[in-house]
Amino acid sequence: MKNKKGIEMSFTWLFGIVIGIIILAFAIYAVTKFMSEGDSLQTAKTSKEIGILLNPLETGFETSQTSSFVMPVETRIYASCDNLTRIFGRQLISVEQKSFGKWTETDLQASFPNKYIFSEKGIEGKKFYVFSKPFEFPFKVADLIYMTSSEDNYCFQGMNSDIERELKNLGQGNIFVEEENFLEECILICFDSGNCDVKVNYDGGFVEKNKKRMYFEGDALMFAAIFSNYDNYECELDRLMKRASSLAQIYNDKANLVVISNCNSNLDLLGLKLDFDGFENSNNISRIYINVEEIGDSNRVAECKLW
Amino acid sequence: MVKRENNSYHLPLRLGKLKDKGQVKIQQMAFMLIALTIFFVLVGLFVLGFNLSKIKGTANELENKNALFLASKLANSPEFSCGNSFGNNKLSCIDLDKVMALKENIEDYDRFWDVANIEIQKIYPVEEEIICTKGNYPNCNFIKLREKELSGVDLYNFVSLCHKEKQGENFYDKCEIGRLMVFYEKN
Repeated sequence: MKNKKGIEMSFTWLFGIVIGIIILAFAIYAVTKFMSEGDSLQTAKTSKEIGILLNPLETGFETSQTSSFVMPVETRIYASCDNLTRIFGRQLISVEQKSFGKWTETDLQASFPNKYIFSEKGIEGKKFYVFSKPFEFPFKVADLIYMTSSEDNYCFQGMNSDIERELKNLGQGNIFVEEENFLEECILICFDSGNCDVKVNYDGGFVEKNKKRMYFEGDALMFAAIFSNYDNYECELDRLMKRASSLAQIYNDKANLVVISNCNSNLDLLGLKLDFDGFENSNNISRIYINVEEIGDSNRVAECKLW
Repeated sequence: MVKRENNSYHLPLRLGKLKDKGQVKIQQMAFMLIALTIFFVLVGLFVLGFNLSKIKGTANELENKNALFLASKLANSPEFSCGNSFGNNKLSCIDLDKVMALKENIEDYDRFWDVANIEIQKIYPVEEEIICTKGNYPNCNFIKLREKELSGVDLYNFVSLCHKEKQGENFYDKCEIGRLMVFYEKN
């Protein structure tokens, strides 16, 4: 006779186990979801905090300012640009942080319409350097912020003495200007000819990087082209032109207001505004600069200075 | 040999009793599970509520930080700063003529500084509050960049307020002491 003895299990037990598994699975799912939401929240908070901490870099000084910040864990910072939202576009910052050996992925971004950050597409590390420089075109338009990771070293070669002095004064740990201090792993930036990662043609007014050419006028834009990628540079420049256009309108309205107080300036600011409005890409910058320089000179010698 | 007749008489009764007992047990188990689920849902809701209030707290903290930094540096931003138009580059100096021009174009700057409103007030000499308009400027002492009524928290910073003043056939630079107030909405 066959032994029919097996594990005897009543329906009550079976029912309990099935429902128990469902509850447990739901609880595990909820906890996992909750943890990932917590990570996303933390990265979003960090993104916003980075933007807020950059505020003190925007000052009225005409010289460069430098600062650094250290993150508690390995971090990737993505500073991207949106030039289509509202009038002035916006700066977007998102952050990925390492948690239990894995990068937290998030699509949450903090946006700042009044910031202009120039950096590579994504920078990774624990310590980050930032320095800022005012962009005047011909009036001050904004403070440009250059952000780099301490893991990326920049070696400058063949620049003029003014730029060398400025870079030395920054005292930034990842910028090297003397050849004897150059590190083996270094992003080489040449102002003279040579086989370099970034080539700067100072007199020609352009920077060549990854086989792409970014045109500039003035040192603030030159550094912007050196420290950022092509897409970011063009997009931020477009945003800057939009703000410059709005400022030209404000200065024109101010000129009309102060004329009542016998303060005459006679500058063609509406013409300049049209130039800014017609901006398409950095290729146009030298054409706009002719008018910018002329109006800047006129304001400098005017009896009633508008800026 | 067991007689089938006897068993067939007693079996349905025993099975019925067992079935009733089993049903009660299943019901007990079901109630227990429902109670357990409700308990976990309540705990979940409590944690969610706690977390939401924490998020609100973080948002408020960040708004406050932003407004605090903004109040201290806004006077130096291009739309407000004196630049070189009142002599050498002055820090924490607001060009009131420029701010009046900005007021005319303020729709362009919607949410640009991520604050609810910005106000500028002359604090010396102490006078009755006169809100600046295109018509009464510069004979006024209070500039509201946006006309809307405010509910929010304000943070302020002391600044110099400069403008060009008419003097006969000429003009001169007039600077006074004032307060730059930044309002932000509390969540």
